[in-house]
Amino acid sequence: MFGTQASREISHEFQPQVWKTSIHTRRANITVKFQDLYGFTVEGNVDDVNILNEVREKVRQQGRVWWALEASKGANWYLQPQISSISEGISVGSLKLSALANTIALKRLIRKGIPPVLRPKVWLSISGAAKKKSTVPESYYDDLIAAVEGKVTAATKQIDHDLPRTFPGHPWLDTPEGHASLRRVLVGYSFRDCHVGYCQGLNYVAALLLLVMKTEEDAFWMLAVLLENVLVNDCYTDNLSGCHVEQRVFKDLLAKKCPTLSAHLESIGFDVSLVATEWFLCLFSKSLPSETTMRVWDVLFNEGAKVLFHVALAIFRMKEMELLMAQQVGDVISIIQRTTHHLYEPDDLLTVAFDKVSSLTTNTITKQRKKQEPAVMAELDQRLRRLNSLKLDEKSPDSPKE
Amino acid sequence: MATIGNNNLNAKLVLLGDMGAGKSSLVLRFVKGQFLEFQESTIGAAFFSQTLAVNDATVKFEIWDTAGQERYHSLAPMYYRGAAAAIIVYDITSTESFTRAKKWVQELQKQGNPNMVMALAGNKADLEDKRKVTAEEARLYAEENGLFFMETSAKTAINVNDIFYEIARKLPRAQPAQNPTGMVLVDRPAERSQAASCCS
Repeated sequence: MFGTQASREISHEFQPQVWKTSIHTRRANITVKFQDLYGFTVEGNVDDVNILNEVREKVRQQGRVWWALEASKGANWYLQPQISSISEGISVGSLKLSALANTIALKRLIRKGIPPVLRPKVWLSISGAAKKKSTVPESYYDDLIAAVEGKVTAATKQIDHDLPRTFPGHPWLDTPEGHASLRRVLVGYSFRDCHVGYCQGLNYVAALLLLVMKTEEDAFWMLAVLLENVLVNDCYTDNLSGCHVEQRVFKDLLAKKCPTLSAHLESIGFDVSLVATEWFLCLFSKSLPSETTMRVWDVLFNEGAKVLFHVALAIFRMKEMELLMAQQVGDVISIIQRTTHHLYEPDDLLTVAFDKVSSLTTNTITKQRKKQEPAVMAELDQRLRRLNSLKLDEKSPDSPKE
Repeated sequence: MATIGNNNLNAKLVLLGDMGAGKSSLVLRFVKGQFLEFQESTIGAAFFSQTLAVNDATVKFEIWDTAGQERYHSLAPMYYRGAAAAIIVYDITSTESFTRAKKWVQELQKQGNPNMVMALAGNKADLEDKRKVTAEEARLYAEENGLFFMETSAKTAINVNDIFYEIARKLPRAQPAQNPTGMVLVDRPAERSQAASCCS
């Protein structure tokens, strides 16, 4: 397993990248197809190709910055568990000054991007996945996979159904080997947490984790830490109550940070959840280009779920003027989709997300969630009761029999 | 809600049904004329628009293609609220998906717009040898519940355009209260505020 995955990684990182394009023209309005850093087919014009080439060069430069720091601060300086920014509960006083300086340096550095080759070990460390993994016996993942092999549940059926529908056409994910690997991670997780089981959306998240992490086992632990520690509780369970909470929190934040835009969107009957639900469930993996998604995840794993709000707000913020002109729901959606699909330059998005959107703290988000929870629960409960009353009608004699 | 202006009708249409019944494939066939053996699973919902010419009017469909997994059910009201039409999709090779379709019909009858045009689509009609739900059974159910019924195949394109055209033809008559005299008096800004008040 490790062998095949490692060679797969090599093909991502070290193969001289030749754009697989059929550009026979320099005209910018011709659409070309090519593969990006992670093997996804991208359709774009020549400008997009140029931007992606610039991004690739920036990734290389950022790699050199990381190596230089490694030389001055010592190997693996960023792996010290106490310097991750995610645990904001730790009081600053309890940190040594040198560790604090490293925390700040690392936070800045991560916002500029983790080099793809370092992502597996940096993600494991900053997210807390390595710590989680260290609390169970070394054989945990292999034992889990062996124990669930051949078992059929509602979750495994749905997973099997979704395997070929997860990034179809991808050169590795959409192969028997890719399907088998994704299946093991998703099925394994569905048994680890039967409240989550399998939720559509996790297939995309797990697939990208497999592309980044060195081993399938580490992809599994990243998925575990995301669902159990990084994201809001119950984001993927039962009735997606956590996701409903996040949507309400986001709506409130948009009203606070972009009041004019928020009022305009409401006046034309546009509910931000229409676009943001997918963002919060797939963590942007279905909306943003792959390296841009990875850059969002870099910060997500270091700073926590508040990052999703920063990024979602930034997308609306970037197109505020255009969105204010839109008079129909469909127009708003087209503008947003066109924007997200073309955000090939991660810095364009992250600069707005962290410099233009004023700072949000994890505490603020936690408070907002607490505030929204009762309303979400009441709404879901009311809905459930209405649906149950439908079931009662079904049993009454005058309704059509099944 | 369907809104009328200068013989142009804007209509919100929602697709509901079990996971893997072929909702996205029907939309893709209708909007782009394409079919993919493996269509990416939909998360939340996907939006499309397509305009049809029916007689001397045009109907612009704003289509919400929703996610089928049961737990996404709690998001559905956001998409069917104010919809002028719904296509409830099941897979003719799956009795479970037909049961699920009936539940959607019930929910829409109770919670949806009372004038909503509802269509029942038995999709994957090309898979005759794997059929589990007979056309008669579905037709009877549709008649009893005031839906119109078609068996469709996104793969072969059978009845796909037809179901959307049929909805388009049924739409104006389904909204008599909005346009009782046949004269168009409502202009666009008024429509919008109306839409906002019923959707917010």
